[in-house]
Amino acid sequence: MVKLNFHDIQGFVARGYNFPHASFLLAEILDRQAGREFVRHTAGRVTSAERWQQGKPPSTLNIGFTWHGLRKLGLPDATLLSFPDEFYQGMRARSRILGDIGRNDPANWEPVWKENVHVWLAVYAQTPDELATRCGETIGLMRETAGARLLYTQPAAAIKIGGQPTSKEHFGYTDGFGNPDYEGVERDTIPGQGKLTADGKWAPLATGEFILGYPDEARELPACPVPYLLGINGTYMAYRKLHQNVARFRVYLDEKGKQYAGGKEKLAAKFVGRWQDGTPLELSPDRADPALVRNQSRNTNFTYGQDQDGARCPLGSHIRRANPRDAFGFNGDLVNRRRIMRRGMPYGDYTPEDQLASDQDEHGIVFMALGASLFRQFEFVQQQWISYGNDARLGSDKDLLVGCHSGGGDKFVVQGAADAGNAPFICGGLPDFVEMRGGDYFFLPSLTALRLIADGAVDPR
Amino acid sequence: MANQNGNMYGLTILSPIIDDPKSKVSHDSALRLYLQNMPRHAYSPFTKVSGTHFCRLVVMDDVVFVGSPAAEEHLKSKYLVFNSNLYGGLDAYLAEMARKIPDVVDDIWSHCVGYPGVADPSAFAAYMKKCQIETTFFFADVNDKTVEQTLRALQMKVEFTAFIERNQGASPAGLLREFAAFWERVRELPLPPAGVKDLAKSHAAIA
Amino acid sequence: MTNINGKAYAMNAVTPMKTWKTPILLAVFFLIGVFKSAQKGLVDLSFIHFARWVVVQNNQFPRLAPEQPEEQLKYDYLLFFSNFNGTWNEYIDAFSAVLSSGLNLIWRWSEKFPGSVPVTAFKRYISLVQFDTDYYYTAYPYATTSDVKAAIRVDDALQEFANRAAGLTPEEFQQSYLQLLVKVQADIGALGPAPMGT
Repeated sequence: MVKLNFHDIQGFVARGYNFPHASFLLAEILDRQAGREFVRHTAGRVTSAERWQQGKPPSTLNIGFTWHGLRKLGLPDATLLSFPDEFYQGMRARSRILGDIGRNDPANWEPVWKENVHVWLAVYAQTPDELATRCGETIGLMRETAGARLLYTQPAAAIKIGGQPTSKEHFGYTDGFGNPDYEGVERDTIPGQGKLTADGKWAPLATGEFILGYPDEARELPACPVPYLLGINGTYMAYRKLHQNVARFRVYLDEKGKQYAGGKEKLAAKFVGRWQDGTPLELSPDRADPALVRNQSRNTNFTYGQDQDGARCPLGSHIRRANPRDAFGFNGDLVNRRRIMRRGMPYGDYTPEDQLASDQDEHGIVFMALGASLFRQFEFVQQQWISYGNDARLGSDKDLLVGCHSGGGDKFVVQGAADAGNAPFICGGLPDFVEMRGGDYFFLPSLTALRLIADGAVDPR
Repeated sequence: MANQNGNMYGLTILSPIIDDPKSKVSHDSALRLYLQNMPRHAYSPFTKVSGTHFCRLVVMDDVVFVGSPAAEEHLKSKYLVFNSNLYGGLDAYLAEMARKIPDVVDDIWSHCVGYPGVADPSAFAAYMKKCQIETTFFFADVNDKTVEQTLRALQMKVEFTAFIERNQGASPAGLLREFAAFWERVRELPLPPAGVKDLAKSHAAIA
Repeated sequence: MTNINGKAYAMNAVTPMKTWKTPILLAVFFLIGVFKSAQKGLVDLSFIHFARWVVVQNNQFPRLAPEQPEEQLKYDYLLFFSNFNGTWNEYIDAFSAVLSSGLNLIWRWSEKFPGSVPVTAFKRYISLVQFDTDYYYTAYPYATTSDVKAAIRVDDALQEFANRAAGLTPEEFQQSYLQLLVKVQADIGALGPAPMGT
């Protein structure tokens, strides 16, 4: 049994906090010495992955750095060169690999991404006041040390419906299912979140898929920057601000929903692979099932092996693309090293279903994906399974929801059966429902590594 | 017959490259340069050798030293590897190479030891067979389609996919009529050319 | 990048083998050839159009003229040529993940082969023994092997449908067409460009 060092791992890495409010601060390091001071003070306040004995704290703080941020903080060249290519290059330079073209091209990103984004700070809080307090403290620290300069504040919040925070996102889908289970995490394994064993049961994935310094699914230690102490208990993050064209989505769903024999709600389910309340299509192809959704041992406990033709859950639906489970055969072994840990949070005001939405409004999702290898996990899923479809036998068809369709000819196929009520149905002329507004790659060091950076004590062999 | 898998033949040719210390440019360099500049895709000479699904030409400089305790050793000649995955039989294929692309064959194999030229097809075939190495194990995902059949099937896939999308929701009578017109049209379509890199650019526009 | 043509990648590899191990490898290939089920993994992965292994024994390098020096080699050599879809990394990751015992059975007889699991050392070995293609031709660069198989299925289904269609009433035709759609519904992905190699 793997024993994780919870004192050393950042809390954001080890668990989803489930707080209703958040702010993501992007900052520039101004000066090596002062920057280190800033990191030293922050390290003392960063939330670790230790269990909260006295219940949830009012707020949390976590930190990550771009490659350029680490360089500005004066890490030695040999260390900097030992980081992976994609982290060094940054998300902007990898735009063609990620399919960030057309409207999503970095030329169209928000202006902050042209500046020197060195640091990412995440503040989560129970209330807006506590959020403001913690953000204020953090920004105050930047000023006091003169080590960093705030470039941008990205607010985010759980969508409230009827005054209660939900786990919905702006298109109306309940989100947050299916985060990978891995060894050493102190919570119950939720069936369906890990990997499949030979006898069809679910087991946690190897820790090294998500946190550096622990064995991974390839039965070795994952590639790690040098010195080892800098890397272990750390991980990488892809941060992407994804604007959602809610109006465009609703119009499209309305129009196609009228043509689809199963109706609009079912079609919405087919797009994603879950009904809007979260019921998985694979388990309940004909109707949403709130009891199923509430049942943790069932709501993500399914495989696609009995649905090879996609009649229950379309071959190209969003969740099937992002996590194919056993859809490619080999008992899911092709997928185990392509899992991503998601920590996303919606931003912007929610437009209720009965009100007119505007694509000009500031709303979307702050998408964050963690993993031990950006290249092998996030980038791969984004490039090969979202922006392309060959592995799923879908040729070059892209994901309906998140894929970049600027071209006009893209389609989504709802596989069906030989009866008029469930006939195969093509949704053509896909527009861009999601637009990439900017992002980058960050390294989230352990607390020990933060102190090493603050002390300027990073010593490559 | 290990070279054969269904109707596919795995041809592996290793032709020793002439080593002439007196030549200004070595034969392997010249060959490399020639291959680098040889026309590609729809303009490739191999589009004319109709059995060719996939083929490659590789100048093999040497074997590899994998590190101690393995021994270090070297080839005394460089070899031109010609590896073709072809539909049909070897004799017909070699004859077609000689007949359809004699200049290219000359340009390439004139750098190789003992090459008799392509003017005498049987001498050429004998030479190639002397250079042939038996394929030990040949895997073919699809082993029973000619290049033409494959190109035609791909064309049908594209055309029919567009048809399905265009006629979604059509009335029974309308569908019948549209399909009849479609079937009429696609059977008259010219075969897409072999080797084309980007189908969309070469293919007739789809509604 | 001359190893790549459209969606296909041409990999070439050469590895040395002690001559006494060669007959064992030949027996392995013989058995894989006889027991078609052993090839099932390759077909299911659907990554490879065509691949071949070629054993060149140390006295089998072609010698075409007396002035060509005779090779004097200690090892036999295993040549490997593959035409596959996807990136180099995806290809090797997949094989290491699901076909490692098959890979080991073929390459364990080659000197210094580290095993196909874990994958990092395996990739390092492949990089060492891989040599680049100078000229690569394929008759259909825009089609992966999955695309080709899907196309054949669609073509066959369409042909069969068209043959049956004559003489059907519009309603019968529509029903028959619906059955055709169900038959091809997983085979109608677009034939567009592949992602760039990484």
